[in-house]
Amino acid sequence: MVMIPPYVPEAFITMYLPAIYAGLIVGFIGTMAIAMKREEIHILILTDLVGLAMIFVVSAVGTDLAEALILPGLVVELAETLAISEILITREMRIIEQDPRRNLSKSSSLFPQPFSANMEILTTAPNFIALVLIGYGIFLTGFTGGAVAGGGIVLYALSKKARGLPILMLDGIAGVSGIAWCLWIIGFLLFFVMPQYWLLSLFLAACGLLLKVASKVGLIGLLMREDIDRE
Amino acid sequence: MVEVQLFFYFGIFLAIVGSIATAWGPGVNDPVVRTFNTEVASVGVCLVLLCYNHVLALLTLLATTVIITLILFRAIIRLEEMGADV
Repeated sequence: MVMIPPYVPEAFITMYLPAIYAGLIVGFIGTMAIAMKREEIHILILTDLVGLAMIFVVSAVGTDLAEALILPGLVVELAETLAISEILITREMRIIEQDPRRNLSKSSSLFPQPFSANMEILTTAPNFIALVLIGYGIFLTGFTGGAVAGGGIVLYALSKKARGLPILMLDGIAGVSGIAWCLWIIGFLLFFVMPQYWLLSLFLAACGLLLKVASKVGLIGLLMREDIDRE
Repeated sequence: MVEVQLFFYFGIFLAIVGSIATAWGPGVNDPVVRTFNTEVASVGVCLVLLCYNHVLALLTLLATTVIITLILFRAIIRLEEMGADV
């Protein structure tokens, strides 16, 4: 017997089994492809597919619970991809250091050639889009807002770097994480100690998550700074 | 009015076809092609989330897909520059 809460719409109940089967099929394809490949970068790309299968299975629930479970899953997947790609690059560099016969090419830039077209829209549009994305992310708050605002930060850094311009660098971006944790813990505590202030604690937790996720995505900017220093 | 179910099953179809294309599709030995094929499956998942009214999940999926694509491209380019076998 399956317990179905009464507030789940009728349409979502009929969509439950197809979504679960689609998730299982996509996950099976993804894991089979992972088992058949040898190169790590291909395995990293195929891990995305397994993440999509996870989203299918969770979204089949069809209520707000599904949404609440998908958001951290997506953000954790993002952090995982970032960490594993860094590990792959570091390991490949160690292999090259141990075996110096393989010559290492000097340029390690994401965009090897500086882009030198002199158009006004190239200087104004990236700033404007980044500003809109960051503003919209702050308006959304939570996991979603963090991802959107982080996307804005990354777009700003990338568009500056593609044209060979200096990027505004913040050194204390790791310290933001501690403030975010404090906001989150205070909100959580307040939720149990004084439940009448639930809206305040909700916003504390949401702003904490926004800072946390946006600064995590800002790590990509930090990694690109290492690329610049090496040159 | 077009049925919601149509978009739902089309999303499932796109996700399965996209994942097959990512796994065994033409030219997937190039990691860039493989990354692009992942986007097809991602669009299918977006349609399914749209049918379920999961707006926040849809937004987060779009934002993280963009950022993950950037990360993967950075890793692919760095590895190819270092001469690794990708």
